[in-house]
Amino acid sequence: MPDIQPGSASSTRWAKLLDHTRCIGCHACSTACKSENEVPLGVHRTYVKQVDVGTFPHARRAFQVTRCNQCEQPPCVDACPTAAMHKRPDGIVDFDKSICIGCKACIASCPYDAIFINPYDGNAEKCNFCAHRIDQGMEPACVVVCPTNAIHVGDLSDPVDPVTRSVHRDPVTVRRPEKDTRPKVYYKGAHQATLDPLAAKRPEGGLFMWGEQGPVNSALSGHPDTPNSSAAAVLAWDIPHRAPWDARVSLYTWTKSLAAGIWLVAAMFVLFGALATDSSTWRWTVPVLSGVWLAATGGLLIWDLKRPERFWMIFAKPQWKSWLVRGAFIIAGFSAILGLHVLASLLQSNNMSRVLAWIGIPLAVMTAVYTAFLFAQAKARDLWQSPLLPPLLLVQAVLAGSAGLLPFVSDAEIAQGAGVSVVTVLRWTLAAACAAQLLLTVGEVTLTHSTAHAKLATHEMVQGRFRMFFWAGVILVGFGLFAPIAPVEYGALLGLLAFEHAYVQAGQSVPLA
Amino acid sequence: MNQGSKSKRLRSYPPKDRWNDWRELDSKSWPERVERRYSLIPTGCFNCESSCGLLAYIDKDTGLIRKFEGNPEHPGSRGRNCAKGPASKNQVEDPDRILFPLRRVGARGAGEWQRTTWDEALDEIAARIRKAIQEERRQEIMYHVGRPGEDGYTERVLAAWGIDGHNSHTNICSSGARAGYAFWMGYDRPSPDHANAKVIFLVSAHLESGHYFNPHAQRIIEAKQNGAKVIVLDVRLSNTATHADHWLSPYPGSEPAIHLAIARHLIHEKLYDREFVRQWWNWSEYLASEHPGETRDFETFERILAELYDGCTFDWASSESGVDAETLREVADIVASAGNQLSTHNWRSASSGVSHGWQVARTLFFLNALMGAIGVPGGTYPNSWNKFVAAPIHRPPHPDHWNELTWPQEFPLSFHELSFLLPHLVGEERGCIDTYFTRVYNPVWTNPDGFSWIDMLRDEKRIGCHVALTPTWNETAYFADFVLPMGLGNERHDIYSYETHDAQWIGFRQPVMRAYAEREGRKVSDTREVNPGEVWEENEFWIELSWRIDPDGSMGIRKWFESKKEPGTKLTVDEYYGWMFENSVPGLPERAASEGLTPLEFMRRYGAFEVERKVSTVYAETVQASELDDVAEGPHGRVYTRAEKPHGANIVPLPSPPGDAAGRRPVGIRVDGEVKRGFPTPSGKLEFWSPILAEWGWGEMAIPGYPRSHVHPDNLEPGQIPLIPTFRLPVQIHTRSANSKWLDEIAHTNPLWIHPREARALGDLRTGDLVRVETEIGHFVVRAWVTEGIRPGVVACSHHMGRWKLEGQDGQRQLMATVELTSEGSRMRLRRLQGAHPWRSSDPDTERVFWSDVGVHQNLTFPVHPDPISGMHCWHQAVRVTRAKPDDHYGDISVDLVKSKAVFEKWLGDCRSARSVSPDGTRRPYTLLRPLKPTPAAYRLPDRS
Repeated sequence: MPDIQPGSASSTRWAKLLDHTRCIGCHACSTACKSENEVPLGVHRTYVKQVDVGTFPHARRAFQVTRCNQCEQPPCVDACPTAAMHKRPDGIVDFDKSICIGCKACIASCPYDAIFINPYDGNAEKCNFCAHRIDQGMEPACVVVCPTNAIHVGDLSDPVDPVTRSVHRDPVTVRRPEKDTRPKVYYKGAHQATLDPLAAKRPEGGLFMWGEQGPVNSALSGHPDTPNSSAAAVLAWDIPHRAPWDARVSLYTWTKSLAAGIWLVAAMFVLFGALATDSSTWRWTVPVLSGVWLAATGGLLIWDLKRPERFWMIFAKPQWKSWLVRGAFIIAGFSAILGLHVLASLLQSNNMSRVLAWIGIPLAVMTAVYTAFLFAQAKARDLWQSPLLPPLLLVQAVLAGSAGLLPFVSDAEIAQGAGVSVVTVLRWTLAAACAAQLLLTVGEVTLTHSTAHAKLATHEMVQGRFRMFFWAGVILVGFGLFAPIAPVEYGALLGLLAFEHAYVQAGQSVPLA
Repeated sequence: MNQGSKSKRLRSYPPKDRWNDWRELDSKSWPERVERRYSLIPTGCFNCESSCGLLAYIDKDTGLIRKFEGNPEHPGSRGRNCAKGPASKNQVEDPDRILFPLRRVGARGAGEWQRTTWDEALDEIAARIRKAIQEERRQEIMYHVGRPGEDGYTERVLAAWGIDGHNSHTNICSSGARAGYAFWMGYDRPSPDHANAKVIFLVSAHLESGHYFNPHAQRIIEAKQNGAKVIVLDVRLSNTATHADHWLSPYPGSEPAIHLAIARHLIHEKLYDREFVRQWWNWSEYLASEHPGETRDFETFERILAELYDGCTFDWASSESGVDAETLREVADIVASAGNQLSTHNWRSASSGVSHGWQVARTLFFLNALMGAIGVPGGTYPNSWNKFVAAPIHRPPHPDHWNELTWPQEFPLSFHELSFLLPHLVGEERGCIDTYFTRVYNPVWTNPDGFSWIDMLRDEKRIGCHVALTPTWNETAYFADFVLPMGLGNERHDIYSYETHDAQWIGFRQPVMRAYAEREGRKVSDTREVNPGEVWEENEFWIELSWRIDPDGSMGIRKWFESKKEPGTKLTVDEYYGWMFENSVPGLPERAASEGLTPLEFMRRYGAFEVERKVSTVYAETVQASELDDVAEGPHGRVYTRAEKPHGANIVPLPSPPGDAAGRRPVGIRVDGEVKRGFPTPSGKLEFWSPILAEWGWGEMAIPGYPRSHVHPDNLEPGQIPLIPTFRLPVQIHTRSANSKWLDEIAHTNPLWIHPREARALGDLRTGDLVRVETEIGHFVVRAWVTEGIRPGVVACSHHMGRWKLEGQDGQRQLMATVELTSEGSRMRLRRLQGAHPWRSSDPDTERVFWSDVGVHQNLTFPVHPDPISGMHCWHQAVRVTRAKPDDHYGDISVDLVKSKAVFEKWLGDCRSARSVSPDGTRRPYTLLRPLKPTPAAYRLPDRS
């Protein structure tokens, strides 16, 4: 074919200039993109967000052409488990639907919320600069259609390219530079009221100036109460974004805490001598219980994929920076320990069992804790950027583990050397874990938030859309403090689940675009 | 160091030489490189009047339209489009479109339809028309068009039938602006040269509205980037206003006060172009007529001019408009800084809102006239200079009778048909209609007082047969006898030309599948062969219908629809356009030949042709001696000649100012000794004082002025505020884009814009709360959008929403609510049963419709407000806004038809009928533009007997 200039064989660095001194908010780019890329109804690769700024008679409407920022350091690429999302040598962040597993890690990680799952094929997609056109020497569809020439594509490696010149000479800006992504989509003349997703007030009544706001459970731009901008600014038009991770992910963190926690608590007991290696609890109850919960965890993970039949690609095409991959291998390693544990039990080998406890504890801890790193890979979900998250997850594992074991341990089982029953030790462990959980939660929600996003997410969790779950969690885990004197383990477990749901969903409730 | 660019040059468009076989990588298969082969066929967008160029990408393997991109060969749109261009694809694939001819069974409007054949429909309609013509009931045939696709085509069909049956949408759209411009310069439309302007002054929203959205937006932003200042007058915050250096939000109807204050500033500070005014205004005629006692020299006129507008101070304009005086002064200084590079534009907007709204355009053009910014680069041109209309193969004579239903005597100066009064005029038994065509027109929804339209359409005595020519269901088609599916923009032929900038060009809309088939070597003789279902196009329909009206040619109709090459056979669209492109477009045959193409092949391949770039300052041209024969000169320098009018290729309709008593025709105007072309006005000059207005009973309005409008605070009752119901949404187009899902998902409702101050007064009204808006004749219930983007004390609601379908009827489900229509005495009601909702269709996207709100049909609650001069429906309403009552539901509409009739009669009372004011016994000044202008004899008022 003539014209083909594959992006892989050049020193070109494609960049875009969105000139908002020219943009008239007409949405030609929005529909041209839909047409070129056959984008389904209700999802968008690009659209024009609109914010009314000011008070009469000095009000103005600010536009923002909103799309993938073609980051030099794209978090979506780091987060993608299969390298379906990838950066080409010419800087275009592209995607390969043939190896996408639909895990939504890229969506969670994008600080601009520019990625979505195509409802018809289950794969992630976004603006890819019309790479298929670029490689043929053609401008992207949005560039061609724009009535006022507000969208420009150029080569940053060429110092006299008009886009490069504008980027170097004009007061251009990028969205959310603090996310360390180094975007290659530059905005000229854009207003802070649009660039900052929380600058404008989100209107009431589910309404925009000429459209509905869309489903209530979506993340809409704008702040529901006190916007970041002290100027009068109201979100006039926007599209709804879906939270990538739904209740299945909340549930997965809980089942995983149970799986890792049950084994971890028991193994610690074994090492500290509170549980005999030849007890039926250690030999059978613990590995079976933990295995069941781990299987549930794996099941949830696969269920949450939009292309579940492709889950094997995590192992076959691992992209090692992805915590989804790392987590999968950690979980696989931990399952192997559980398998060996069962084998040791079958062989009735106490020594092997003891060695496994030593090897398995780090893997159980990693199984419990890796999710903190997975969540942290979601760069713009500020609630999840907390350094308290790894210890919190560990505490949750202990909480879940002790509560999860309790119903299966007989009162008659005496902890060696302690003179009390294993149940008593478990009850005190549960109470301690609940106390730690509450302490960390209090820290999490009361410490001054480093960003407006973290503050809004916390607000949504504690007082907003997810407060019912959050407070149910706090109260039920609070009852867990009475574990030594009352049977509160089921309540504590439910409380943990409620808390997890509030935390996972609130983390995704803040608009990023 | 190498300073040259090393980046790859990206192309915007496929090179023209590969349009026959363009190969492109498939976006869906990406990153796998799957090549698709396309044939690129140009056509014209039909989603607004700009008619921007489109290129259809037809997949050679599937034979389907893959997408529409811009046509770089189109001089107006230059390859770019707005959101509506690419979205044309949705309309082609719309699962709710009408594919077969339908005829009503059961009562009209009851919603039962039966598929029929084109033959049956054509025969039946032709028989009716033939009978009406034979029985001398020609005035009972009416063709009512919203968006004409082609200049003059259907007018010629009607002319061939010998009927004055053209009806248009003009008087709900642009009459105000047309009258304002015409009384100055004869031409009734402006063509602002934004690209070269220093100051752009818009009384409208042309970065988002038609006439001509995308072409103008390109050039406005281009000028702005070059340093031009932009001033926008609009009551609400538009996307256009947001780009203005000065956005002025005047109290609605006060725009002329602002213009006059600026004019006063220019006059008092002597900042205007005195030489231009001296040479080109009809001040001498004005002095002679209105100040006969004064010396007739320019200095005297200047003194009187200053006196006339002395009261129009910034403070006065400020008190009328609510815009502070200091801002007005700043704006006036900016206007003064423009020199003659002042491009101004008013279309629809304020001039279509209020009584005497035509003064908005007249006072705006006053500024151009003062600055000499007319017909010069960066100024405003008359549209006719920037528009090319090619002569067709046949030109039948115009009708010799007058249709009183469209041109009632009460409105001798109207621009044009009093279309929106039809139900009232028919209701007064001024006439009835035997066969009524509606075409890309939906009066039930678009016009004010839609319930009166329903009332009329239901009555078979008043409307004998209603034929709806439409690609999609609409509110009016539900009350038709025949619904005949006509093609979308890419399924029909049209030639068109619009004044998008300082040039003349033609565009060619064509059925792309037909052009594709022919390109691939298949012969197509009827567009139905390639269109979906049995969808047709009007051009072939009218030819066929005309043949069936006059099958043997005995009525003298058929000959206008016959081939010239083979007389006695049917004219084909290929011959029609082939002839036109060969014979009527200067330069086109040569250009085509240079590429080895026939002119028709050239137009089928490229879709557009630029006839002329940079039109000169026509008014200042010296009239050639060959045109001066036995000349005579009027008292104010008007020059008349007996020389024949030279043949011109461009047949764009022009005003026809009167000749002299001896039968000479006006040819020019003497200016400083030389005979110049001048303007097509009675005086030949720019008419600061309009002799037409003065002679036809409106002497007090003859100079630019500021009459207080029907929504002026003095004319409101306590508690009433003005409602602005006229603004467009950038991605929708009236009644035509509901079938476009990509546009509907962006814009699908029309809440009432209300300022926080008003909202507080209504007890802390919040966005989303229900309000009841009471007009003179009824009310509607709508949601509130509390915004700083509207003047306090005014509310606004876009007219683009509120589509509905009756229960059990087909319709465009993604943007039509299902409603229940009830009548009780004179009161008619609409209640919403269900909003939009997802549904299963051939397009999986219809299951993803996420909105239910499709807005409220406010126009139903508006009575008719015909302006006594322009005939414009004055859209703005005096309303009372309250919180919704307990029984109110969203979308409720209620109207009392008795009240609606009373308002009609009240406004009719303000008219000055030709019967009482005509100075010469005619119905209308013959010079004024009029579609399908009848013969002069038809202009004579009938005897009163």
